[in-house]
Amino acid sequence: MLRYHETGELAKDFHGTLNTTIDYIIKNYGQDTLKKIFDNMGQKVYKSIHTKLLNDDPSELIEHIAYFFNREGADFDLNIKTNEIILTVRQCPAIAALNKMGFPVSPHFCLSTIYLNNAICEGTQWKTETTKTGKGSCIQRFYKEANK
Amino acid sequence: MIPSDHFVRFYNEVFKELDTLGGLSKYYHEISKLQEKHCLENFQKNGLQGVYNYYVQVKHDENCIMDIELEKHCLTLRMNVCPSLSKAMDNDAGASPLYCNHCPGWVLPLYTKAGLYNVYDKMGQTNPQCCEYVYDDLKLAKEKYDQLSKTKPSDEILKNW
Repeated sequence: MLRYHETGELAKDFHGTLNTTIDYIIKNYGQDTLKKIFDNMGQKVYKSIHTKLLNDDPSELIEHIAYFFNREGADFDLNIKTNEIILTVRQCPAIAALNKMGFPVSPHFCLSTIYLNNAICEGTQWKTETTKTGKGSCIQRFYKEANK
Repeated sequence: MIPSDHFVRFYNEVFKELDTLGGLSKYYHEISKLQEKHCLENFQKNGLQGVYNYYVQVKHDENCIMDIELEKHCLTLRMNVCPSLSKAMDNDAGASPLYCNHCPGWVLPLYTKAGLYNVYDKMGQTNPQCCEYVYDDLKLAKEKYDQLSKTKPSDEILKNW
């Protein structure tokens, strides 16, 4: 069950504010500060997902990915195996929104995914890795150590 | 990806961190510069009607429960349920005590650049409500500010002149 389950309109302009904020934090405070903010996001805001992973339960993580990638209109596949979750993103909705708004995509933008996923998994039996496969495409993998 | 729906909870964590580093005001100005790209030309060219049009779209896109009233020299934006603070409060990480400051933080400099006068009633940091009065006439804006200042705590009423 999702802790946060928004409905209604989507304000995709927020992807632009995220893009600006990532560059601003790195330029003025450095990458460690950005990582700290995403650590808090992953473990405090998404406490429910993180706590379930600590208990070896990825159900809310799977539900979160499926719900919000569908809600954002992403082109993606979610492949769920025993002890492994593979999210194949063919068109990231955040990067698509930035392109639509005409904003240059920050070279650091994907750190939002990498740092967030790492924070959600930190200290749990679950690990994660993100591989960029193109502009606005990637493969995000969550797995238990034995599946590496 | 941070879903659009969850951006404000990220924003909330940014505010907490930058507050500890003493950098909130500078960040608000960065956001204001970003918002200029969306709003400034419209506000300068169309005045209160431009601000009205912008907030009609924001009300739709951000699921705001708000009343927008345009009169001859005054636009009133009455936020009855702010979706942003509501989400920041419905949040396992808890809301920044300064969360509401970001709105006047970015919008007041923008109104100044557009030649408009704003009186901003924050209505408290834990109440998801606020009210903005935007004028194209400084005399009327000053009258509203004086009127509200008599009945509200001074740190709750902001202005841009």
